Amino acid sequence: MGERVFAVLGVFAGPDALLDAASKLEGRGVGKLEAYTPYPVHGLGEALALRRSPLAGMVMVMGTLGTAAAFLFQWWMNAYDYPIVVGGKPLASWQAFVPIMFEVTVLFSAFTAWLGAVFLLCRLPGLWHPMLSSSSMPKLTRDRFALSIESQGRDFDAEATREALRDAGALETEVVRFPPAPKPASLTLLLGLAGAGALACVVAGLATYWTIKVFPTLPPMSRMLQQPRLGAQRSSSVFAGSAGFAPVAEGTVARGRLPYPFKTPEEAAVLGNPLPRTKAVLAEGKRRFDTVCRVCHGPLADGKGTLTKAYGASPADLRTRRYQAFPDGSVYHAIMSGKNAMPSFAKALTEDERWSIIHYLRALQRAADAKDSDLP
Amino acid sequence: MTLRVLAIVGALGCADSLIIDPARFWANWLVWTLMLVSAGLGSLFLVSLEHLTGARWSIPLRRTAERVASLLIPGSLAMLAALIGIPVLFPWAQPGWPEDPLQAGKTAWLNVPFFTARAAACAALWIGSWKVLAGGSLELDRTRDPRLHLRLQRFSPFFIAVFALTVTVTAFDWVSSLSPEWYSDVLGVYLFAGVFLSGLSAVSLAAVSLKKEGRLQGVRFDHLYNLGGFLFAFVVFWSYIAFAQYMLMWYAHMPEEIFWYKDRVEGAWGAATLGLALVHFVIPFFALVTRGSKGDPRRLAWVSGLVLVSHYADLCWLVFPSLGLAPRFSWPEAAAGLLFVSVGLLWVRRATAQGDDLPVGDPALEEGLAFRL
Repeated sequence: MGERVFAVLGVFAGPDALLDAASKLEGRGVGKLEAYTPYPVHGLGEALALRRSPLAGMVMVMGTLGTAAAFLFQWWMNAYDYPIVVGGKPLASWQAFVPIMFEVTVLFSAFTAWLGAVFLLCRLPGLWHPMLSSSSMPKLTRDRFALSIESQGRDFDAEATREALRDAGALETEVVRFPPAPKPASLTLLLGLAGAGALACVVAGLATYWTIKVFPTLPPMSRMLQQPRLGAQRSSSVFAGSAGFAPVAEGTVARGRLPYPFKTPEEAAVLGNPLPRTKAVLAEGKRRFDTVCRVCHGPLADGKGTLTKAYGASPADLRTRRYQAFPDGSVYHAIMSGKNAMPSFAKALTEDERWSIIHYLRALQRAADAKDSDLP
Repeated sequence: MTLRVLAIVGALGCADSLIIDPARFWANWLVWTLMLVSAGLGSLFLVSLEHLTGARWSIPLRRTAERVASLLIPGSLAMLAALIGIPVLFPWAQPGWPEDPLQAGKTAWLNVPFFTARAAACAALWIGSWKVLAGGSLELDRTRDPRLHLRLQRFSPFFIAVFALTVTVTAFDWVSSLSPEWYSDVLGVYLFAGVFLSGLSAVSLAAVSLKKEGRLQGVRFDHLYNLGGFLFAFVVFWSYIAFAQYMLMWYAHMPEEIFWYKDRVEGAWGAATLGLALVHFVIPFFALVTRGSKGDPRRLAWVSGLVLVSHYADLCWLVFPSLGLAPRFSWPEAAAGLLFVSVGLLWVRRATAQGDDLPVGDPALEEGLAFRL
């Protein structure tokens, strides 16, 4: 007999005969039933008593995973890793996440359904199957319907199975054997295909790269250069008086540039320090003091800075009783408007920096006149 | 008999609530009118869809759908009765409207004569279409004239156009204009989703209960599966539309739009909104997601009942906050529900006594009965 028997095949004239035979043979323990038809036949799954496919469960799990992954990813990006307020909404706005969650759910489900069905459950690409050696195969893709009973062990009786199929109404029967050793060419073919694909990707990538690199002025690469936009110092037809920018509305206050209406230190004394006296504020005050004030007033605010010697100037010793009694607002006024030979430092420091310097200055004054109770 | 007694009890309760709190009575009347119209119009849409696409699977269920569609008659009458409530329900019917020049542009659409004309036109078109489609089907049973079948098929495209226009007009007139300054282009589609869902649910419930009585024996798992599949699909469709409308308004945050959602998301209605999402989407979705559940009569029946309840809750959610009513279910709501549910059941039961349970005159009935998934 030669090669091992794979299955016994019975060919039927039409789908009804096939369904009839399948329900007759199913459950009689003749062997594993399998059907080969040129098109899907309704009711065949029930007649062959096929198990429920696990695909639905796989899709459910992966779809849920997609929803969760999309939510977590967006939450992490928007609320944690790169928080930017968009449209005045809270950083973690679930409403904005829903469309992406929906799309990723669909994507994961569709890919799972397709890849799972094709590769996991149908085991494609199957380049070889014993049934392909059957002489009935051409007919089965056209107008014949076949039922096969696959051998499941040594005690498979091909002749009895043929008889059973013939009894069930098969027009002809055939014993399908495993063909002699399948050709091992498939691996080479797959490697060749993969290599060709990889080569095509590299060629396409390099071609794209060099096209953009060599011809940046050709469309579509040049489209970025041709945007409707207004150059600096140009007139426009949009605003009154051909102005290029909208005139600033009356009473506009720029962020961090509060108007300063005070003229004398006495007037400014009404201002209080808005910053809390914390370690961070004092550290910031020291940093800005050392950058801006130290060169004249000295590191201890005692008026002995490096510039004093060079120019013979005499900046105030800020540790004295007089300056200790100076209100915060008056010190602020000195920074804003200058005092005696000292120029204004309003432009060099932001509002918060000025107030943190005043906190630091108070600490220096206290250190110069420390009491026992100040020790920790 | 019990239904008649319940209807009378409901009518008495409704009359009482009309005297005590007319605004609440008319709100309930409007919600239940839209309920009847939804179930009837959704079923008639299913019928015309079959004629339009030449579907075979729904032929054994078509007579049931035609019978449920007869709810359009009490629904249309209730809608005409609701015209009496215009001065109570609609801000645009109050003297002194519009205070706001932006709303003045809507006076051409929102005025009592034109509104009444539109409602009457909708009612006439619905009843007329039902007469043509359901009456023609009964006529076909008697005469077995294939030309009549062709005429039904040729009428269906016109009905689809009428359906689309009247559902949109109903949504804009009876729901949107409760807050005349608010507008949403997609509200017609939103109401369509609810209309088709309640039509499908009503047909499923009717089919399952007829099957229980031993009628409609030809309707099998395969036919019910398609009803369940449609139900599943349109549960998702409704959620998609509802969320799309919400998200766009939430993102844009325009004062003339967002107040409508603030009324519904903040305060007592916030919990109702979450509950609506649960019963209108989450529960039906997971109840119908598996293959076996879509065609299982018991599962299909309780999910259909839940979807009908959800559509009622959805209509309350649309109507009540615009009138400043709290999310409460008390005796005025119960009385209106009792009246309309018993009248609707009586009506459908009367319809099921006429003619065959299957459209025996349909030339493709055999194919429909033999339908397999």
